[in-house]
Amino acid sequence: MTEQDAIRMTNEVFADSFEIPKEKLLPEANIFNDLGLDSLDIVDLVVALQKKFQIIIRSDERVRNIRTLGDIYQFILTIKKELNK
Amino acid sequence: MRILKIAYLNITFYFLTVTFLLTCLPALGSLIIIFALIFPKRIVMKRLRRAISWFGAVVIKIFPWPLVRLSYKDFSESNIPGPYLFICNHRSASDPFLLGILPYEVVQVVNIWPFRLPILGVVAKIAGYLNVRELPFETFFIKTTKLFKEGVSIAVFPEGTRSRDNSVGQFHSAIFRVALESRIPIVPLCITGNENIPPVGSPYLRPGLIKIHRLKAITWDKYRSFSPFKLKNYLREIIIKETALMDQRNV
Repeated sequence: MTEQDAIRMTNEVFADSFEIPKEKLLPEANIFNDLGLDSLDIVDLVVALQKKFQIIIRSDERVRNIRTLGDIYQFILTIKKELNK
Repeated sequence: MRILKIAYLNITFYFLTVTFLLTCLPALGSLIIIFALIFPKRIVMKRLRRAISWFGAVVIKIFPWPLVRLSYKDFSESNIPGPYLFICNHRSASDPFLLGILPYEVVQVVNIWPFRLPILGVVAKIAGYLNVRELPFETFFIKTTKLFKEGVSIAVFPEGTRSRDNSVGQFHSAIFRVALESRIPIVPLCITGNENIPPVGSPYLRPGLIKIHRLKAITWDKYRSFSPFKLKNYLREIIIKETALMDQRNV
């Protein structure tokens, strides 16, 4: 998976599951303060990401460190790389 | 002159509030105990919650008058039967008292600080007010759903904390998840003018006009297809637009 794929597919999750306009989906956007997600929405986000990328991240401690959309792109890429090893 | 007004306002307000609290509370407490011996718990709770509303209305409408005035406008238009979920913006510590103007049995979902208020915190706890910080979502869901089924309206400040710049903060989604399951009419309640009554971090009230606009209820037919995220932002947008107009108009 390329970085562009990770960005495109993550943005699709935000657009489809949360109906957030694409112009707001910037790598530096804070998912809490800028995009308006809360802890319960994060649960929905994790489920949607798992479905989209066919991965299991629910119990991954690194999810707790995610703050920005860019963090999610990098997290997805890291997970995918780990799976391909 | 302004300092004198503020001093007069605060001396009279706090004197009357404390006196009222100290004289009415023993009477109310005795009445509730007598009620509890005679009537079922449901009726006792109903009376207690209405008594809290009356207390809030008296404290905020009468004690600071005429230096603090209250303007309440009801734009709800239709008579959709309750109970309701009131969604309010949050600028001041006076917000929970303002909800006393609502003519219903209401339980407020509040942050931890109102429970720490002397006397009032204990009364709020007895009346079943919900501390959103201490409840896991599952418990919150069960308690709020039960209240709606009993016909009790719920008022929530979904920002969770007071705004420091009059903007409307991001909303928490917990109560909107309950609304989607309970199919309850949601009423936006917009409050402006009380950002200095009192200001954040100060106990001192300033003179001013508090405006409350009750907007048209949003029924389940309208929001049934929404996700919790979309629903919370839909309500937030409505409140942002209305409070901006209320701030501009200054009426």
